[in-house]
Amino acid sequence: MSLKRVGILLGKEFLYGSKGYIFIFAIVAPLVLSFVISLIFGTLFTEKPKLGVLEDDRSELVAMIQGLDTITTEEYSNIADIKHAVETGAADVGIVLPADFDSAIIKGEETEITAYIWGESLAKNRTIIAVTITNLVREITGQESPVNIESITLGEEISIPWNDRLLPVIVLIAVFLGGLMLPATSLINEKAKRTLDALVVTPTSMGEVFTAKGLVGIILSLFMGILILVINQAFGSEPLLLILVLVLGGIMAVEFGLILGILMKDFAALFTVWKSAGIILFAPVFIYLFPEIPQWIGNIFPTYYIVQPIVELSQRGGSWPEISIEVFVLIGLDLILLGLVMFTLEKRQPLTA
Amino acid sequence: MNWRIIGILIAKDFSLFFRNKLFLVLTVIGFIFYVVIYFVLPSSVNENLEIGLYAPVALPAFTEIEEDGLEIAMVESEEALKEAVIEGTYVAGVALPADIADKLIKNEKPNIRLYFTPDVPQEMKETVAVIIRELAYMQTGQALNIETSEEILGPDMTGTPIPPRDRLRPLLAIIILMVEMMGLANLVSEEVERDTIHALLVTPMSIRDLFVAKGITGTGLAFGQALLFMAVVGGMSGQPLIILISLLLGGVLVTGAAFLISSVSKDFMSVLAWSIPAFILLIVPSFSVMFPGAITDWIKIIPSYYLVDTVHRVANFGSGWGDIWLNLLILLGYCLVITWAGITVLRRKFQ
Repeated sequence: MSLKRVGILLGKEFLYGSKGYIFIFAIVAPLVLSFVISLIFGTLFTEKPKLGVLEDDRSELVAMIQGLDTITTEEYSNIADIKHAVETGAADVGIVLPADFDSAIIKGEETEITAYIWGESLAKNRTIIAVTITNLVREITGQESPVNIESITLGEEISIPWNDRLLPVIVLIAVFLGGLMLPATSLINEKAKRTLDALVVTPTSMGEVFTAKGLVGIILSLFMGILILVINQAFGSEPLLLILVLVLGGIMAVEFGLILGILMKDFAALFTVWKSAGIILFAPVFIYLFPEIPQWIGNIFPTYYIVQPIVELSQRGGSWPEISIEVFVLIGLDLILLGLVMFTLEKRQPLTA
Repeated sequence: MNWRIIGILIAKDFSLFFRNKLFLVLTVIGFIFYVVIYFVLPSSVNENLEIGLYAPVALPAFTEIEEDGLEIAMVESEEALKEAVIEGTYVAGVALPADIADKLIKNEKPNIRLYFTPDVPQEMKETVAVIIRELAYMQTGQALNIETSEEILGPDMTGTPIPPRDRLRPLLAIIILMVEMMGLANLVSEEVERDTIHALLVTPMSIRDLFVAKGITGTGLAFGQALLFMAVVGGMSGQPLIILISLLLGGVLVTGAAFLISSVSKDFMSVLAWSIPAFILLIVPSFSVMFPGAITDWIKIIPSYYLVDTVHRVANFGSGWGDIWLNLLILLGYCLVITWAGITVLRRKFQ
């Protein structure tokens, strides 16, 4: 196998393939899906209250607010800016602290805060900001809390929010849309145009053609998998392991794609298989979505060995010991599928539509 | 201008448009998809923090508080409180000890238990703790010598907050218009690619008839669907005439953009390639409605801003002609410039 020829073919695949509808679709669809799920299940709409602050002197209050996780704080340098921020909704509330604010409250002197409130801000956000500021002012003045507070979490099982449960679906779509569909459609297209026949009369071998097509699929699926995890802030603490799983998942997707590309005559047949047999690929994520279904059923499906490590690493804080068995099974499946690709290719020579 | 020829051309274009399976699917399934998305999103906003309280003794600061955004409901027992929290009735449950009043009088610190479900974020737990601590301060009569002067900027929506799905309405309407932009651009580029445009021009049809027909087709497709969408999702209930005119101008805008795109496109794939940047650019102003304050004033140079802003203000705030006339005027200006530019470059391509 000539790496130079694979490189040239890879460049060609990226140059011409990137203009293809499937290439664009493989990038756009997972992003749109991720965005829609975020919208529906609330990640984007559950923002913390936003506070704008304008101070004449350096107040301890501002430093304390900035250290809180419960409120997002932004400092402004003049009245016009803070009012504009509140008017446009960049801040729910904007407060203007007078000069010598800290010394006034410590001495118990009367002082005044000006608060600009965004008309569209939610009542609870206004309350949270007001109560939080009051609480912090009490801390500065040295007032001691009159009560002890104990937080108790009810229920044994950790409930997973729906947008987290749906993350493996999006990751799997991102990996398989590019990884499976791109090599499959590319092969079908080449068969239909008979360009494969033209290629193999040159020194280029079928193995080099397949390697180049596979690499495009792996690169795209890896890129999309990483992008979706980054967008959803789910990269976890073991990014290298996560990338390894995505690469192995991408290889599986590509191998499925190459087999379909060899076997299918046209796009219609490919899309029919995708629509009908796609459920086998996505079954593990549906089992993961509904914990009431016996979880062992998921182990039957090949993509379980992609989904499980991704969930373990990105959502449960897992590391190598927790995913090692699944990763070895995944490597084994990739090798079996590689054998299947070679077997199918040999049986179907010459490749024509 | 020959209206009979224009009519025939429009009928032909509609027939060609629906012959392209991709755009047909995008049009029909897309429309259903947008409507479904709208109705799946929450129709209301819970702007209150709902807290359950078990109080074996009456503490006025806790039991009689009336604060916007805070809803404290009394529960009969601690067990009932825990169950209500697990069922999701309250975001948090607060259990006051039986000796709280005595301890507060004696200046001792009573222990207050807060109950949460496991999926409540840490910041919410901290927020509830801060609120309860503040109520305890109030109960013990510890005052602060601070006056607050408040000024509400913009219409005060307390009690009637805008639900997420209504914030999404302008975005969905814009997406519908954009998809039709691609459809029309493809239609025109196909005519150029197959050279049927020159065949048409040797008939009694003038180039002006051609652009009028294409313009009516494009505007009609885009405007019709956006109008239907707004009608289905209740966006026409307040000021239907303003919404109607805004969407019509939106239809003209995307028709002009489609002319521009088709002038630089050779085939379906290049239509897609040119449409995506235009799509992204024109969609950006919708994010200023969905995520207020996230985008700065530079978006006002994007023509679709004036469409999005008008639809948002009219449908969600009940704004009238006096509030949005300038938006419509600027949008009209953009429509004229973009359509003129589109026709000019496309005419050069035909000749």
